[in-house]
Amino acid sequence: MVAVIKKLDSVSFDQFLNDHNPFEHAESKFNLGGVKLVTPGALVPIAAACHALASSGRAPVITVDDFSVRSYLLRCGFTDMVSRVATFDPPYSSFLSSAFEWRRGRNPMLMELTKIERGSALPALLDQVVWVLRHRLKYRKYDAYDVATAMSEICQNTFDHNRNTCGFMAMQGYGQGTGRFIEIAVADSGEGLRATLARNAKNGLIRSDSQAIQMATRLGTSQYDDPTRGTGLYHLLEIAYKHQGSVQFRSGSAKTRFRMDTRRGWSFQVPPMPGLQITLTLRSKERP
Amino acid sequence: MEKVLNLKKYGKALWTRDLAKDIREELNNLLSGISIGDVVVIDATGVEVFDYSFANELFGKSLFGLGNEYPGKFLVVEGLTTYTRENLIKALESLNLAMIERKKGKVEIIGKIHPAYQETFKVIAAIKDSISANTLKDKLNINLTAANERLVKLTAMGLVRREKATSTAGREQFLYSALR
Repeated sequence: MVAVIKKLDSVSFDQFLNDHNPFEHAESKFNLGGVKLVTPGALVPIAAACHALASSGRAPVITVDDFSVRSYLLRCGFTDMVSRVATFDPPYSSFLSSAFEWRRGRNPMLMELTKIERGSALPALLDQVVWVLRHRLKYRKYDAYDVATAMSEICQNTFDHNRNTCGFMAMQGYGQGTGRFIEIAVADSGEGLRATLARNAKNGLIRSDSQAIQMATRLGTSQYDDPTRGTGLYHLLEIAYKHQGSVQFRSGSAKTRFRMDTRRGWSFQVPPMPGLQITLTLRSKERP
Repeated sequence: MEKVLNLKKYGKALWTRDLAKDIREELNNLLSGISIGDVVVIDATGVEVFDYSFANELFGKSLFGLGNEYPGKFLVVEGLTTYTRENLIKALESLNLAMIERKKGKVEIIGKIHPAYQETFKVIAAIKDSISANTLKDKLNINLTAANERLVKLTAMGLVRREKATSTAGREQFLYSALR
């Protein structure tokens, strides 16, 4: 019997795909039935997955029954983002859509689901991240810059291994008091780390997705033969360490989670999915 | 002669490698326009943040190419904040590079550099004029070979200026000085 997922996040996302992976079945269905909460760590990969499926001529269907999840998907920009490539079951009625229309300005996320199509769009997006952290969470300037820098490195990495695809990102805050944290997710439907790094012969034979993730986080490993490349994900880990956070890399059929209290990475075999999905969780630095 | 590349005109937050590529074009034009021994100063005054990709592309790539493309020319950074300085140091360290930072009229090396070279640079920077390998060996209490090796390295890294001169005994020698 399949256990019902109530909280769909970067961890339960693997079980979610395990139950039914559209990339391994003919039916392109994402069943969010029973889900009561979706975090960016799952939401962003689903958006990227829908676009990946659509680009290969398939028509993904997203089943959502919970009213609050349905309204959340609408308000956080998810429905807009996948409307051209996926359908919802049951469909959003025009009445329901318009009922939430007035709440559009009340985005429940710190940063709504955003499509990243061009590198030139990134600076404005990062300025927006800084603004949100400074004004909504009262972050100190340099803490906000750290988060934006981390996002910048992830997003630029996304462009590096994307060929004619796009990336997605979102940011949300959770928890209370000292347990409060922010979750940032960036995902694409590109070739993934293994294929990307294999473009550089210097990287040798990469035997697994797990090895590719390990290599990508090592200083100086890049698809380019350029000494100034291959530092982005390394610096991302450094920022996560500074902010007592964790980073999860998911590419192909591997996932590696770095917990910064030990600076160690744990690797797992996961259901395969195209592209690279990165979830960054940082202890919130907001001030009262 | 000294030419200045003002980063502030590109914004107070400098994100992405792509932006740095555009700025590097301007930097290359400035480097092409100066003579050997001259300096281009990257003035970061007013810039509050840049990411690592930006730093790698602008500072890293320029420093990697400096010795080959613009031999004898120098690159100096000034006007860094605590934050941009910290990020630039981390970026340079991850690339095994070092460069000169000018701060309130004084110069120092930031980035990845062996303590022995750092010590040597400090001695050179503390001297008003220039210094020969012979004088340097006495000041650091090292042998002449070690002094020459350090000076050659610092010169190759574009961190000290080397000029030909004649010693009091009439022999040709090199004199080394820090940029001001």
